[in-house]
Amino acid sequence: MISYKNIHKAFDIPVLSGVDLTVETGEMFALFGPSGTGKSVLLKTTLSLIVPDIGDVEVDGMSVYDGPSSNLEKIRRKIGYVFQHAALFDSLNVYENVSMGLPEDEIARMRTADLSRRVWEALEIVNLEPREILSKLPSELSGGMKKRVGIARAIVGRPEILLWDEPTTGLDPINTAAVERLIQRLSKELEVTSLLVTHDVEGGLHICDRVAMLHSGTLRFCGTPQEFRDSPDTVVQAFVDRAAAIAALDMAIV
Amino acid sequence: MANPIVSPVVGWFAKVGRAYHITLEHAGALGILAWDTIVALVTLKVRFRDVLRQLHIMGVQSLPIVFVTASLAGIVTSQQGGYQLISSSPRYVLGTLVVQSVVLELAPLLTAVVLVGRIGARITAELGTMVVSEQIDAFKSLGRDPVAILAAPRIVAGVLTMPLLVGFANVIGIYAGMLMADLDGGLGKETFFYGARLFWHSWDLFYGFSKSVVFGLVIPVISVHMGLRTRGGAEGVGLQTTQAVMFMILTILIIDALFPPLMLQ
Repeated sequence: MISYKNIHKAFDIPVLSGVDLTVETGEMFALFGPSGTGKSVLLKTTLSLIVPDIGDVEVDGMSVYDGPSSNLEKIRRKIGYVFQHAALFDSLNVYENVSMGLPEDEIARMRTADLSRRVWEALEIVNLEPREILSKLPSELSGGMKKRVGIARAIVGRPEILLWDEPTTGLDPINTAAVERLIQRLSKELEVTSLLVTHDVEGGLHICDRVAMLHSGTLRFCGTPQEFRDSPDTVVQAFVDRAAAIAALDMAIV
Repeated sequence: MANPIVSPVVGWFAKVGRAYHITLEHAGALGILAWDTIVALVTLKVRFRDVLRQLHIMGVQSLPIVFVTASLAGIVTSQQGGYQLISSSPRYVLGTLVVQSVVLELAPLLTAVVLVGRIGARITAELGTMVVSEQIDAFKSLGRDPVAILAAPRIVAGVLTMPLLVGFANVIGIYAGMLMADLDGGLGKETFFYGARLFWHSWDLFYGFSKSVVFGLVIPVISVHMGLRTRGGAEGVGLQTTQAVMFMILTILIIDALFPPLMLQ
């Protein structure tokens, strides 16, 4: 379970203003909101990649900011983070990138064959052919492949929680649908808690158990996808309508 | 309505205050980076392979440009020295002039300036790109320490490489100067080194190498610090790299100016 408690963050101007949100264990949760409302900032506070000005985050009862520093290390082991643009390490090949997803001490204890097997398995889970891409550098991969390698790196350590930061950004509608199916499949197969930050509202509503919407740095809505669609809140309605129009346009282009 | 008398004064104080704040912020961040690097080294988190790679990039790959720079420095010093001394001093003084100039000033300073361009700018741009493409965040999210992986190997390599490059530049600069003195003014090798030995102090070599160690520390520390502070996209990387180069050159020149009163009295 992830609990965000009264999160405040400002970069010259306030980005998050008192956000309280709980993601239950095993649930698939989507976080929506217009650009610049602090969705990615909130996600990054989970791993202390961005430190909130006020507030705390708890992961399975362990406090990220008020507890001992060893908490953060334990929390990072529990979580796999999929970055918006994959964030693969340029100077490392696919094998090295994916193996970085395993803790250093675990790598030190592993035999090379076991390490290779783990990397191989992770790449197969995300529908990539390991034999063809293991030795390739990120610069030799397409956008969709980079995303998949980024996902493989996030899941190779068998995390209990997956944080997805706009995993479909920059992908065409076909690849977007493929990545969404992958997210859904992985969350079910690996039995992980998933928190998905996305602009793709239709996709998020389709695959998630609960959704929330951030607006102007505050939590505007939290509930089931159906409740979100039926919300009487005009801001939520305007967001749903705009998202539906964009999705229809994407489908027309395809 | 703004007060026409007070506003410029307040504005001036505000500017001074901002500059003071930024300077303190940089100083604090540089101190933290240096401390984190020491901790990473002491706790053996720095991989030898990473240091070796940086030694190759900073040292071996810098040899050609250092060779060219040192050669030209020796040649120019020899030519200009010969021109100035031809009617006023014994010819062997040219050996003194070239050796002292190269060892005390030209080799450490020019090598440092070359490394600012070749290594410092590269480090800032590389780390800046890693920041804006979230690779640094990725390291942290995977439980890796970016200081141990990225900063410490570069800083260690800088401190180890710079004195070796300056030693190389000393040899090349002196020999280039000697060859030029021979070609230009017919000053033989023995006469050149006679002049060099006449006013030689071993301390001068220590002085030049001390400078090189400090410069070797300053370049990677500032470039790493500036790289890790990059914000924005490609424009941010470009801006930060330019500022880093300016910051490094200024720091090196100021440190260079502080050395004579501290070590040559």
